Amino acid sequence: MNRIIKFYHEMGSPPSFYRITSHWLTPLLVLALGLTLYGLIDGLFFAPEDYQQGDSYRIIFVHVPAAWMSMFIYAIVGVAGIMTFVWRMKVAEAVMMASAPIGALFTAVTLLTGMLWGKPMWGTYWDWDARMTSELILLFLYIGVMGIYAAYDEDPRKAARLAALVAIIGLVNLPIIRYSVYWWTSIHQGSSVSLMGGSNGIQDWDMLRPLLVMALATKFYFLYSMLSRAQSYLLKTEQHKQWVSKAIDGQARHKPGVSS
Amino acid sequence: MFAPVSFILQPGQLAVIAGANGSGKTTLLEALAGLSLLRRGEARFAQSAEQHVWLQNSHYLGHKLGNKANLTCLENLQFVASINATSVTQHQLELLLEEAGLAGYEYQFANDLSAGQKKRLALSRLLMLNKTFWLLDEPFVNLDHGGCDWLYAMIERHLKQGGAVLLTAHDQKKIHALADHHITLQPSAAEVSS
Amino acid sequence: MRFQALVKRDVLVSWRKKSNIYQPLVFQLLIVTMFPLGLGAGAQTLAKIAPAVVWILALLSTLITLENIFKDDFEDGSLGVYVLSGMNLPLAVLSKALAHWLTTGIPVILFAPVTGMLLHLPEQANGILMLSLLIATPIFSLLGTIGSALIMNIKNGGMLLSVLVMPLLAPVLIFGAGAVLETTLGNSAYGHLMLLSGCAVLCLTLAPLAAAAAIKINLE
Repeated sequence: MNRIIKFYHEMGSPPSFYRITSHWLTPLLVLALGLTLYGLIDGLFFAPEDYQQGDSYRIIFVHVPAAWMSMFIYAIVGVAGIMTFVWRMKVAEAVMMASAPIGALFTAVTLLTGMLWGKPMWGTYWDWDARMTSELILLFLYIGVMGIYAAYDEDPRKAARLAALVAIIGLVNLPIIRYSVYWWTSIHQGSSVSLMGGSNGIQDWDMLRPLLVMALATKFYFLYSMLSRAQSYLLKTEQHKQWVSKAIDGQARHKPGVSS
Repeated sequence: MFAPVSFILQPGQLAVIAGANGSGKTTLLEALAGLSLLRRGEARFAQSAEQHVWLQNSHYLGHKLGNKANLTCLENLQFVASINATSVTQHQLELLLEEAGLAGYEYQFANDLSAGQKKRLALSRLLMLNKTFWLLDEPFVNLDHGGCDWLYAMIERHLKQGGAVLLTAHDQKKIHALADHHITLQPSAAEVSS
Repeated sequence: MRFQALVKRDVLVSWRKKSNIYQPLVFQLLIVTMFPLGLGAGAQTLAKIAPAVVWILALLSTLITLENIFKDDFEDGSLGVYVLSGMNLPLAVLSKALAHWLTTGIPVILFAPVTGMLLHLPEQANGILMLSLLIATPIFSLLGTIGSALIMNIKNGGMLLSVLVMPLLAPVLIFGAGAVLETTLGNSAYGHLMLLSGCAVLCLTLAPLAAAAAIKINLE
């Protein structure tokens, strides 16, 4: 237990966060790439065809993990936002601002793959069904968090606190937005085609396996990308602190051909 | 922004902050006023670090004067009085405006005043609110000779009554002569001379 | 009282600057003219989209006024006057919202039957239309205080304000326009109006806190 508390405290200070996570980046990237490669090959070539949708269902191996990540990352942005707002934690601020663009990217990927899938399935790229609509609104929430931060670029600390406030407001509203959107579609139109591969979901293990592998791969990719972004965020916002010049010196020494 | 600075103002004392453009005079004043949280540091009024005690006893006048353009002079003062929970009569306000050299402008919109008159309108709040501690950012700017003399006399009277004033000013020999503390903000080390 | 003083001042300022009051209505009139021009003047076609269009117009015309709730005060320095007066900040936000609602919300509610008439909205829907707007316009004003407090420091913050506020307004639009639509179809709008009222109560309690937090951060 003591170890966990110690670890938590260490992760709260920018220098030790930087030092500890530096060791994680390479393994995370290897895991993310390896799992993606395996998941895609498994999903695209070895998983059986769907009896209704044929081969076109295979886009779920990208679409569904991306959709999961789009929600999961907003939760992280929101929680990091609370930590930024209440405790003014520098590292939480970095995690929040590092996560937002990745979340927005996954949201955009979800929307795009959804549209590509919609064309053969529904005969149209866009359909105002509950999932796609709330995903689109989620994208606006991400844009709001990033937009307010970008607008206050002359004062990053103020920008981060305002972005945190926007993230928290979004987090409070997300359930209301999703509920209202689902309620709206249930009234205006019949329930649309389920995105989870037919009405009874995926039961075949050969189909489920690549999906789960891809879900893991996106998690590792997120961790890798978020941590490296958070690191550069900290280097940038703390550039006048001593630990930053030490960290950069240390890196320069490890690389041959770079003279300081 | 600027090197650490610390000072104590006793009742009846005046401190003048000097420093080059961009040295952080306005930032310091705003921070003291409570418009920006002090990132590191604190302001105490009579030993109390409670913000509401500070707010109750100080009045800040910055570059942005806070007059509403399409309210009349009287309405502007009336609003500041009510928002500060101070009750004043119409007659008192008229006397106040007269003292500020704005007699006859009572029902003019603040928008129609000249820059110097707008300043006078804002400064007349100080007389109305009766706060102990005045924080004034470049109060002499835009005032004519008469206005400068009026403000100078006003500050002198306030100090005699046991008030304290912290202000920034350029080229005001008279006010510099009156000052008890001179605070010079510098990027390396702030200088306080008494 | 401080609350009343701030409301009174804001209403007076808006009243003197009449454009604050009629701008949303002119905007509605301009846009409502475009619908028959673009869609064809058939009464049936217009009546079909009328519940949604009337509601969206009310929302959009309010949206363009939100930016100035705090921006004007920030720019002329009068924000500092009431923030530094020691007045409870969420209470100040509430009075700003009330003043905005009095000068923008009420005209929009009263004008809605006019746009409804122009779009052949069935007359029996007017009651629910105005009732739904009566519940929703305070939400616009309250969410507007958050948006305006967030962007008061930014030049041309209007677009950003729309991005920030739009997701929050989505449920309000769904329940509000839905209420009017259900009425034109001959159904009860009770459920919609209840949910809309729920949103209003939530906004009334949380929005002043959020806006006050944004003002504090912005003044740092």
